[in-house]
Amino acid sequence: MLMRRRTLLAATAAATVASPAMAQNYPRRAVQLVVAFPAGGSTDVGARILAAAAEKDLGQTITVVNKAGAGGQIGFTEVARARPDGYTLGFLNLPAVNTIILDPERKAAFNVDSFIPIVNQVLDPGLIWVKGDSPYKTLADLVDAAKKAPGKISACTTGILSDDHLAILMVQEVAKCEFRIVHFDGGAQQITGVLGGHVDCAFDNVGGVFKRVQSGEVRGLAVTDVERSKFLPQVPCTKELGMPTVISSSTRGVGAPKGTPADVVKVVETAFLKAIQSPEMLQKMDAVGLALKPMVGAEYAKYYADTQAQAKKYTEWALKQR
Amino acid sequence: MEALGHLLQGFAAALTPGYLLYAFTGCMLGTLIGVLPGLGPAAGTAILIPLTFSLDATGAIIMLCAIYYGAMYGGTITSVLINVPGEAASVVTCIDGHQMAKQGRAGSALGIAAIGSFVGGTLATVALVAVAMPLASLALKFGPAEFFALMVAGLCLVVGLAGNNMLAALLMTVIGLLFAMIGVDPVRGAPRFTFGVEELYDGIGFVPVVMGLFGVAELLLAAEKRQTHMVEAELKSWMPTRQECRQSVGAISRGTVVGFVLGLIPGVGAIVPTFMAYVLEKRVSKTPERFGKGAIEGVASAETANNAYANASMVPLLALGIPSSPTIAVLMGAFIVNGITPGPFLFKEQPALVWTVIASFFVGNALLLILNLPLVGLWAKLLKIPFSYMCAGVLIFCVIGAYGLKQSLFDVWVMLGFGILGYLLRKLDFPIAPAILALILGPMMEKSLRTTLEISGGSFGIFLDRPVALALLTIPVIVIAFLIFKPRSLAPLRESDIE
Amino acid sequence: MRQGRLVATGAMLAFCLFALWQSLLLSLTDRLGPGPGFFPFWLALIGIVLSLALFVSIWRESPPAADGPAEEARILPHGWGAIRCFAIIGLLAAVTVAMEFVGFRIAMLVFNAALVIALGERRWWLIALFATLGSFGVYYVFTTWLDVLLPTGQFGI
Repeated sequence: MLMRRRTLLAATAAATVASPAMAQNYPRRAVQLVVAFPAGGSTDVGARILAAAAEKDLGQTITVVNKAGAGGQIGFTEVARARPDGYTLGFLNLPAVNTIILDPERKAAFNVDSFIPIVNQVLDPGLIWVKGDSPYKTLADLVDAAKKAPGKISACTTGILSDDHLAILMVQEVAKCEFRIVHFDGGAQQITGVLGGHVDCAFDNVGGVFKRVQSGEVRGLAVTDVERSKFLPQVPCTKELGMPTVISSSTRGVGAPKGTPADVVKVVETAFLKAIQSPEMLQKMDAVGLALKPMVGAEYAKYYADTQAQAKKYTEWALKQR
Repeated sequence: MEALGHLLQGFAAALTPGYLLYAFTGCMLGTLIGVLPGLGPAAGTAILIPLTFSLDATGAIIMLCAIYYGAMYGGTITSVLINVPGEAASVVTCIDGHQMAKQGRAGSALGIAAIGSFVGGTLATVALVAVAMPLASLALKFGPAEFFALMVAGLCLVVGLAGNNMLAALLMTVIGLLFAMIGVDPVRGAPRFTFGVEELYDGIGFVPVVMGLFGVAELLLAAEKRQTHMVEAELKSWMPTRQECRQSVGAISRGTVVGFVLGLIPGVGAIVPTFMAYVLEKRVSKTPERFGKGAIEGVASAETANNAYANASMVPLLALGIPSSPTIAVLMGAFIVNGITPGPFLFKEQPALVWTVIASFFVGNALLLILNLPLVGLWAKLLKIPFSYMCAGVLIFCVIGAYGLKQSLFDVWVMLGFGILGYLLRKLDFPIAPAILALILGPMMEKSLRTTLEISGGSFGIFLDRPVALALLTIPVIVIAFLIFKPRSLAPLRESDIE
Repeated sequence: MRQGRLVATGAMLAFCLFALWQSLLLSLTDRLGPGPGFFPFWLALIGIVLSLALFVSIWRESPPAADGPAEEARILPHGWGAIRCFAIIGLLAAVTVAMEFVGFRIAMLVFNAALVIALGERRWWLIALFATLGSFGVYYVFTTWLDVLLPTGQFGI
């Protein structure tokens, strides 16, 4: 009963929304950008910089709302369920979106088609890091320790089945070692967890701790990429460390719930792309250690689809490990 | 000493007319946002960010901090006048604040709240200047295990308030926690207790629940008594009397300490310090039976703790780069957008900016007091509105508040349902406050327990290895021991059950 | 009072039993430790124990003397007070339904007028002024200045 009434309402809403007058007026009020990870992590930092920049081109406030939990599932669910009128946009983390969909245990309330990928902002490679005064100086030190005491060295993720979680599983596979995996909500908790000595090492992304690596507060052990990060040239990449299969990164961009009218999507795309391509954006992103990777339209849609296909392989493999 | 020099320079910068004007405007807009329904402090602060675009980094941050303080105070006003807490931080203020208003002491309640907020905020900022860096590292000692223990201890302390009604309070806590389970599992992501109803995926919203349990229930009780005004007593005082101020001195100083200490721990949220300060005040009071019936110490302690907390929560942000609440996250966003990355390096890289901002905390707190004390009388006058209009007005207010946050009529139904529930529970003498606290803390508690067990590999022994967590967990043990052995000394508390 | 408390405790017991049953449908543990059902399961179990204990302790309280029945009656509203209470509840429910169809403004206009009349106001000009300000006025302020979206109903009004 309730469901049926909602469908009726949704249809009415869609009919009103789809009228051509809508896009001309869009946006008439503040737009929400839902971030599925908590404040203070690399996802959040990038989203806030983007929101502040795109606001000027969009001509309306963009409010960043953090809806964290369950590795992003809570926030993505909110986006997928939002009214498709362009006033709720989502900040999509790939492959987190994909792995949630692919894990049957998660019973996700959304699927691949629930989102329209609009414009990508960032490609942030993974980073394995420890506390600045940790005894582990290299990735080999860490792996050896984990081999000697299987399941005793704790490694934290930014969420279950996030790119970080997959990276841990990849290292375990290649190095034949076993970590004790602890799932935190986002990067800020990892920082308190590792700096406070509650967990031994963290798998995150370069943008999350870039400044802290520079200041020596934390030590980067490896970037999970085929080449070194331009922000952390002193940290080796996994390929040169003999782990060429340990490649993981997080790609983040803006999407809208399915059913958002095409002309509204266009307005959003134009405003965000302009913001991403501006020189100030580059300068601000450099300051926090986030690498830009602008993609729109078909290119971004293809990237989204490809990620889904790749994530399928990894998720099935990860679920087997469980 | 070096810090002091920096701070003086900061004051010189913050006290320039331009920055003062930003702080003043921010306080005013913030108070307005706090009073109006449908906008939490976080959303309100975010909406006002564009106002700060034309300003330089320092000006923008000064104004945002002022908006934040203002919004916190705005929630107090609605709590005292119409028993509707706009956000979690003012739930405790309702308990005694609205009772004071009913006795014609709304002016005193609002006045002491403004004074307490000022003192708490200012002292917390002094402490921030003096000990920010060393204490920041202490906060890191608080891992998931300690966090869980703190949540359990907090819940049990509030249960302990209920005296002989403790069993009911404990049951209400469990019910509140069960309601908090509705929605998507915060760790594994499986939906729980949603029964296929889409609206339940987000869980039960806090704002509609408190608007129902407090606001609507209060209206129903007043309507049943056929009151002509929401508050029937004559307005006695515009300002706290000398005696009331004297009564509040202890409460304000203890509230400051509680708020500051808990503010250092990221993620605790404003509701825990306010409840803890209230519990402490009732415990040390020689006349605990006055609490819940309009004790000014209750309002003073909660409001002071709230503001001390708000200021202290800047410590994790400035010293560790970790935002501890959604509103602080908005502030952090403003920092980042202005090219400042908060973190331990900030004090070294941009000392001038940091100290100007800290100085502006003082200025913001002072402005809030100057702005609000003269307005207290004006607010209190609203209580003269006849009940019929007041009732309709409060209901419009609650409907917008419940609907506005998620644009969901479902939330309006939730508000109505909890309104009726709140009415019945009040009549049946079941304490409501523990359930509300549990509803907010539930997800955090569950998450931290499960993370703790991930760290320990599933063993509960981890709580024995950690002194802080162990110490905190003795509190629930004591509470349960009291419950079973029922010492006679608790009997006098019976009448003062916290609602 | 006593009877009311017993009924309420019974209702909470039923709620906890229901929660227990529901939590058993979720997995209590998985390889990484406690699963989604873990917390609700133990909570529900504790809740059942507590509600049973509370039930017994209320039961054992000495029942109030002769004025018992009068006391019982006061838990639910009665007389004129009851009419006012039910007016508030009924109108609030009605306005929530109505908002979905006719939108905030019209629903609130009628709600405001009906409620103040039900609560004893008779000056028609004041009622009209208040009802208009409390619906169209409030709508304008919140949607235009504060960016809070309010329901517009099925016909966009």
